[in-house]
Amino acid sequence: MTIPSFTGLQTALRGLSAAQAAIDTTSHNIANANTPGYSRQQVDLTQSPSMTLTGLSIGPSDGIQLGTGVDVSQISRIRDQFLDIQYRAQNSNTSNASTQTTILNQVQTSLDEPSGSGLSTQLQQFWSSWNDLSNSTSGISAPAARQAVVDQGTTVAQSLNALDQQLATIQSQTAQQYQTLTASPSGVVQNDANQIAKLNQQISQMQAGGMNANDLLDQRDQLLDSLSGMANISVTDQGNGMVQVKFGDAASPLVSGTTVNWPQTLTSAAGGQLGALLGLSDPTSGQIQTYRNQLDTISNQLISSVNSLQPSSPFFSGNSASTIAVSATASSIQTSSTSDPTGNDLAIQISQLAGGTADQSYATFVSKVGSDTAAAQGTQSTGTSLLNAINGQRQSVSGVSLDEEMTNLITFQRAYQASARVMNAIDTTLDTLINQVGAH
Amino acid sequence: MFGRITTQMTASMTLNDLQQSLNRLDTTQQQLSSGKKINQPSDDPYGTSQAMSLNGQLSSLNDYTNNITDGTAWTQQATTSLGDIDSMVQRVRELVVQAANGTYTQSDLNASASEVNQLIDAIKQEANASYNGQYIFSGTSTGTAPYQTGSTDTYQGGTGSVNRLIGPNTTLTVNTNISSLLGNGQASGDGGLLDTLRTIASDMQSGNTGAIGGADLKNLDSNFGTLTQMEANVGAVSNRLTLASTRIQQLQNSDTAALSNVQDADMATVAINFSTEQAAYSAALKAGANIVQSSLLDFLNN
Repeated sequence: MTIPSFTGLQTALRGLSAAQAAIDTTSHNIANANTPGYSRQQVDLTQSPSMTLTGLSIGPSDGIQLGTGVDVSQISRIRDQFLDIQYRAQNSNTSNASTQTTILNQVQTSLDEPSGSGLSTQLQQFWSSWNDLSNSTSGISAPAARQAVVDQGTTVAQSLNALDQQLATIQSQTAQQYQTLTASPSGVVQNDANQIAKLNQQISQMQAGGMNANDLLDQRDQLLDSLSGMANISVTDQGNGMVQVKFGDAASPLVSGTTVNWPQTLTSAAGGQLGALLGLSDPTSGQIQTYRNQLDTISNQLISSVNSLQPSSPFFSGNSASTIAVSATASSIQTSSTSDPTGNDLAIQISQLAGGTADQSYATFVSKVGSDTAAAQGTQSTGTSLLNAINGQRQSVSGVSLDEEMTNLITFQRAYQASARVMNAIDTTLDTLINQVGAH
Repeated sequence: MFGRITTQMTASMTLNDLQQSLNRLDTTQQQLSSGKKINQPSDDPYGTSQAMSLNGQLSSLNDYTNNITDGTAWTQQATTSLGDIDSMVQRVRELVVQAANGTYTQSDLNASASEVNQLIDAIKQEANASYNGQYIFSGTSTGTAPYQTGSTDTYQGGTGSVNRLIGPNTTLTVNTNISSLLGNGQASGDGGLLDTLRTIASDMQSGNTGAIGGADLKNLDSNFGTLTQMEANVGAVSNRLTLASTRIQQLQNSDTAALSNVQDADMATVAINFSTEQAAYSAALKAGANIVQSSLLDFLNN
């Protein structure tokens, strides 16, 4: 048996096609070098099935394998699924910490400590005003000293009112932010989930038709990355090209095949941005509510300690940070516990409350807010570094390197040229066979 | 280390590093402009509460200083008034001794009696001395004058003691109970200075020189003893105030130093950090700009 005349042409054609596919893929990679979530693609080449030639050899083996060129087996995307899992877990943590940092920063800014104009300074001035009054229970400075006590007391009360109001505003804004993100059907979560379900459908169809849905897979991975910032997610491959997505601590999977289950109830254990928002804003056990309760405790300590030294008529009214107010007037303040109204024993005792329980509780409170914020900042900073490191590894695997693509371009361009040259050589051979053999 | 480096990786890592560098620069800049190393509670939560408590202590120390100044003014006023009373009592004693000689005529005695009566008014005026509108010899009834001018010699003031807070949990009585010296006048017969002086005047008017040189002189000397003791007491209070003031001054110095340690930035260190970080940032910018720019494309010519 002889070799069919046009076999070489076919082999060269396969070479041309393979080189063209590789050049096109390189072009696709270069075009998407800066597309977020893009994974570089590569053409997987294999040898095409060889043909068996018999009768060419006189040796013991009957038959020779003749290569027929190259096949493009598939165009695959280069991606490490394990890095995706690590990235998403770290993204949830970092996003959780950065949400906390942002909101706790707002809380600590509203305290305005240690600045010389915050509540701690106002409390000092309040105690000092009682001290001044103890020196001037009668005489020309007495009315001014009494008025100063009322004014400083009012400043302290109003600061507590304002602080509580600011915390309440931050609390409700945080709750509002959660509502916006989780709203149905316009919220980010539902939006992402719908797109994932739709991509599940498309990818499954393409894979059933034996195609690689590389670009759709990239899009879906990109959406999963974005969801992982919202809450902890866990992604399970369902085997038919579809994925199931468990979201935070929601009871049923957010996406299962082409079904989306939303809205669902989450708690602060959901992780990510949503978990942080819930943990901060919860009206009973949230962190901001804890701060407000501490402010109430401080207010009540202040109210009871001062009022217990004003036996006839209370100095402060109210029973919380939002309701504390000065009920005394300049003339109703008592400086003396005896029948002698110009005595100063009560004024001295109240001035000695400086540095007492209310001041200490407030200092502890500020220190708590500070350390909570610092902890969140620390977690955020470590988390960001880790996230960058994982992202670097991901980029190392999946990212487009222009240097590499340029090298590939040269390689495949040359391969294309060489295949064309082979074709030319075969053409010349055939020309010899057809036109020169037997011609005169 | 990564096996494979891509263009985007370099770009995003350069950006991250630049951002971190800028972040540090921003923190240092804030410390430099505020002069404080704690600008937010989260910068140093424990330091913040320390700074707040030290600020509170300094505020209290400032209050004590005010109280000491006020108390010192009271004792100075008391010293002056008691000194004046002292010289007036000595003048009365001269008159008493002269009258007791028996060489004075009745009209001389009458003149002495009227001088004594005038001195009584002057003494009561001294007893009504005030500081900042408060009667310093009136016990806690600082709004009421202790004695009325004229013939009524009854003490009008209160008995409570006027205290000043001069240190943590330390109060000091700054007033003097003048009624223990002056008493309630002749009607009460309590042997107080006013009782003695009124008796002297009436004995002079009645020419009872025996009583003047006897019981009256003895009573006067006893009153003088009380007065001297009172002056010594005021002096002791004044000393305690001076000592307390020195002590508060020391506490203020150490608390101010401690506060500065906790919250003030060490400017030399911060300034050096700032220029180091600035240099690092500029270098990172320059290097980043060069690395991100170049690729194989720059060297392929076709």
